[in-house]
Amino acid sequence: MAKVSVTIEVNGESHEVLVKNSTTLLDLLREELLLTGTKKGCDSGECGACTVILDGKAVNACLVLAVDANFGKVETVEGLGGENAFHPLQEQFAQHGAIQCGYCTPGMLMSSKALIDRNPCPNDMDIKTALSGNLCRCGGYLQIIDAVKSTVKK
Amino acid sequence: MELGYGVIGKKVPRLDALSKGSGNVKYVSDLYLPGLLTGKILRSPLPHAKILNINISKALRIPGVKAVITAADTPQRKFCLNPAWANNMLLQNEKVRYVGDQVAAVAAIDEDTGNEALSLIEVDYEPLSGVFDPEEAMLPDAPKIHAEESNIALHGTRTFGDVDKAFEEAAYVCEGTFYSPPLAHCCMEPRGCVAYYDLSGKLTVWSTTQTPHPLREELSEVLDIPQSKISVFQAPVGGAFGARMGMDPIDGVAAVLSVKTHRPVKLVNTREEEFLSSRIRYPMKIWIRTGADKNGRLIAQEIKVITDNGAYNHEGQYVMGNAGSKLAQLYAVPNIRYEGFLVYTNNVYGGAFRGYGNPQITYAIEIQLDKIAEALKIDPAEIRLFNANKANSVTASGCKIGSCGLGDCIETVVEESGWKDKKVKERKSGSKRRGIGIACMIHGGSGVKFFFGTDCNSSSAIAKINTDGSVDILTGSAELGQGSNTTLAMIAAEELGVSLEAINIINGDTDTTPPCGGAWGSRQTFMAGNAVKYAAAEAKDQILKVVSDLLEAPVEDLLIEKGKVFVKGSPSRFVTVAEASADSWRNRGTPIVGKGVNVDPWSVQPDMKTGYGNVSSAYAFAAQAAEVEVDTETGCVEVIDFWCAHDVGKAINPLGAEAQIKGGVISMGLGYALMEALVLKNGAVQNTNFADYKIPTMLDAFDVKTYLIEPIDKYGPFGAKGVGEPAMIPSAAAIANAIHDAVGVWINDLPITPEKVFAALREKNI
Repeated sequence: MAKVSVTIEVNGESHEVLVKNSTTLLDLLREELLLTGTKKGCDSGECGACTVILDGKAVNACLVLAVDANFGKVETVEGLGGENAFHPLQEQFAQHGAIQCGYCTPGMLMSSKALIDRNPCPNDMDIKTALSGNLCRCGGYLQIIDAVKSTVKK
Repeated sequence: MELGYGVIGKKVPRLDALSKGSGNVKYVSDLYLPGLLTGKILRSPLPHAKILNINISKALRIPGVKAVITAADTPQRKFCLNPAWANNMLLQNEKVRYVGDQVAAVAAIDEDTGNEALSLIEVDYEPLSGVFDPEEAMLPDAPKIHAEESNIALHGTRTFGDVDKAFEEAAYVCEGTFYSPPLAHCCMEPRGCVAYYDLSGKLTVWSTTQTPHPLREELSEVLDIPQSKISVFQAPVGGAFGARMGMDPIDGVAAVLSVKTHRPVKLVNTREEEFLSSRIRYPMKIWIRTGADKNGRLIAQEIKVITDNGAYNHEGQYVMGNAGSKLAQLYAVPNIRYEGFLVYTNNVYGGAFRGYGNPQITYAIEIQLDKIAEALKIDPAEIRLFNANKANSVTASGCKIGSCGLGDCIETVVEESGWKDKKVKERKSGSKRRGIGIACMIHGGSGVKFFFGTDCNSSSAIAKINTDGSVDILTGSAELGQGSNTTLAMIAAEELGVSLEAINIINGDTDTTPPCGGAWGSRQTFMAGNAVKYAAAEAKDQILKVVSDLLEAPVEDLLIEKGKVFVKGSPSRFVTVAEASADSWRNRGTPIVGKGVNVDPWSVQPDMKTGYGNVSSAYAFAAQAAEVEVDTETGCVEVIDFWCAHDVGKAINPLGAEAQIKGGVISMGLGYALMEALVLKNGAVQNTNFADYKIPTMLDAFDVKTYLIEPIDKYGPFGAKGVGEPAMIPSAAAIANAIHDAVGVWINDLPITPEKVFAALREKNI
C-alpha cells in the first residue's frame, strides 16, 4: 500500500510522517513517533486507553485515521508535564492512590485534562460522564474522581 | 505492646505512580528492539477437530514473512502449571479442542503482513463432535476430548465428621443450586511478550507474567533449553488478576518464532483474542445443602460441584479444591462433605482468576446462609457472628486459624452501615425498593501449599546496603500494579531503620533476583514481605557488627533510626548506615549483603487421601455490606452504598490496601454480581469486545467505605496478611442478599441481570 505524508503537531513539536491510509492516529503515535505513553487496549474505541486530545477534544486515537489528523494538534500524556515537573493531575493521581497498574492512566489523564480545560469547575457527575469511556479494571474509579476534584481545587 | 513504626502503617503513594502517570513506563507492547518482528497465532475456528494437514507454503511466499511454524517446529512437549497434568501444547499437533486453540504461528515485519500470512495458511480439519456442557461431557457416550480418557479430569470427595448423622439431627435443612458463569479477566493490557533468542543461544523473554521464576522453569521444560540460558524479565504489567499465572502459550510460541528467526518477536493478543481464546474463570454449577440447629448454628454442609475444565488442564484441580475447602473454613462447621467433578469440554479452558474458586463457592454459601437466617427468623449479621471462626482455632478440615478478625469485621459493617435501622424499615419510593445485605469471606492470606506440584510455598530476597546508605532489595516477586513493590520497600525500610526513599526494589528479573513463587494467592505481602524482612534483618546484623566495633559497644545496645546507628540513649554519637557500609566494604573487604528465605512456616501439604491439613499459614477474613435500590418495573439494580471491613493482620500501606478493596469491589465485584458473563455458542465465545461483555465503568462507581481490621498476625511481616483477592470475594453475595432484602427474590445464577430480577418479580406477582 502506498504511503502518504501527514503533518502533525504533537505536544508542541511538528512532525512529518509517512503513513498508510489505514494507519490510525494511535499507531502513528506509538509506532512512528515512538510515543508509547498512549496505550492500545482494544483498538476499537471501547476502552479509552488510547485517549488523546486532538484539536482540543478528547478522542480515541484508535478511531482516528492518521490522515484525518493531518495538520492537527495532538496532546498526549508525554506532553502533560513540563520539562522538570509533573502536571497537577499527575501529582494528584499519584497522591490519591489513583494509579495501580497504570495502563488506563494515560487515557484517564487526557480525558481529565480535556474536561478541566473546558469546564474548570466540574461536579462529580461531570467527572464521571467525561471519564465514562475510560475503563479501569484495577482501581474502582473512586480515587480518580477524588484526584480530579483535588486538582480543580488547587 | 504496639511499637511506633517509622514507615509502615502510613498511607504511602505508590513508588512507581508518577513514572506510570508520565507515560514513560514501558509495558511489553511498548518495547522496541532492533529487528523486532510481530508474531501472530493462527487459531482454530472449530471446537473439536482432527488436524489432517497444514499447508504453510503460500504464507511463506509473502514478502516480509520471516517464519511460519507449526507443532513440528517445537519440541512438542505437553505442558501445564503442574507438569503431572500436562496435556496442552504450544501448537497442537493432532487435534484442536476449542475455538481459539493454537494451530500455527507467523513472525512478520508488521501486523498487517502477519495477518495476511495467517489468512494464507491452509489447515485441513476433520470436524469431530463437540461437547459443551460438562454434565453432558460426563456421560459415557460423550465425545472424548483427550485420547482414551474419560472427560472427567478429576473426581474427588472429601468428608470431615459425620455428615449424614448431622443432617438427620438438624432442625432446619436448606438446599439450592447455584451457577457461576465463565468470565474474562479484562486486564486493560492484553497478554503478550517479547522473546529474543540470540545467536549465542540465549533466550530473553519480557513477559506480562505474574510468576517470572516459574515461567522460566516452564519455558525451559517446554522448549528444552537449560534454565541458565533463559532470562525472564517481568515487564510492568497492566493488571493480572490471575490471567498471567504460569506460562501462556504466547510466551512459548514467541520464543519458538525467535528461535527460528534469531530476531526478537513481539506477540501480543488483540482484545478479541483476550475474550475468545484466553483462560477464564472456571464456570461452576454448585449444589449445596446446609443443616442448622434451632439456634442457627451450622452443623452440616455439603456440596457437589461440577466445574467446566474446558479443553485443557491448567489450574482446575487446584481451583476446585480451593472452592471446596472453603466449606470447612468460612464458618465453624463440624461436618462437611464435598464432592467435585472437573470435566473437560470443548470450551475455552480456565485459569487462575482473583479468588480462585472462592467467589463461586462464597456466593453459594452466603446466599444459602441468608435463606437459613430468614427461615429461622435470625438476623443475617447475627447468624454470621454466631457461626464465625475464632482466632487460634482449628477447623474440621485441619486448618489452623491464627489471627482472626471476622467478628470485628461483621460488627464493624453492622455498626457503620446503619444495618439495624435499615433492616427494620421497609424502604420504598414509587417503584423502587431499597435493601441491605451482608456477606463474609475467608481466604488464604499467605498463599497455599498445594501449588506447582510441590510442597513449597516460598520466597527469597537479598538486601544489599550500598556505600552511600541506599539499599537494593532483590526479590523474585512480581509487581502487577497491586502495589507489592511499595509494600516490600516499606517493610525493608522499617526493618532496617532507614527512610523509604533509600530503598530500591529490583524485582521480577530471573537473572538477578532469587526465586519466589510469584504473585498469586494474595501471598506476596506475607511471603515476599517476610523474605525481604529476613534479608534486611541479616544486613542490619552485619551493619551492627561493624558499628559495634567502631563505637566499641555491644551489638545488643545498638539501635538504627533514620539511617543512624547509635547506642540506645546516646543518639548524638552515631555512625550512619552509609558510613558503616563503606567501612565494611573498603576497610574490611566485606560488602553488606543479607539473604532471606521464607518457607511457609505453618502450613502442610494436605493429606492426599483425606484432605486434612493446614493449607495456609495465615487466613484473611472480611465482611462486606451492600445497599441496593431495585426498580421493580425494570428489574434494574443499582448499588448505592457499600461497606467493607477487612482483616489484613496489619496494614503495611493503608492507601494500598484501601485501593485494592475499592478496586476489587467496584471494578470486579460489581461486574461479577450484575454484568459479566462470556456467552458461548458451540464453544465459540460470542461477546468478544467491551461493548458486549460489560465491565463496570465510572458511571457505575458508588461510595465504598473501607475499614482495615488489624488483629496482628503472629507469622506475617509486622503482622500483615494478604488482601488482593479478598477484596472482591464476598461482594456479589452481599449484593444478592441486599436484593433479596429489597424485593424478596433470590437469584442463584450469576450475573444478576435485570431480566432475571424482572422475571423473578413477576413470578412473585410483585
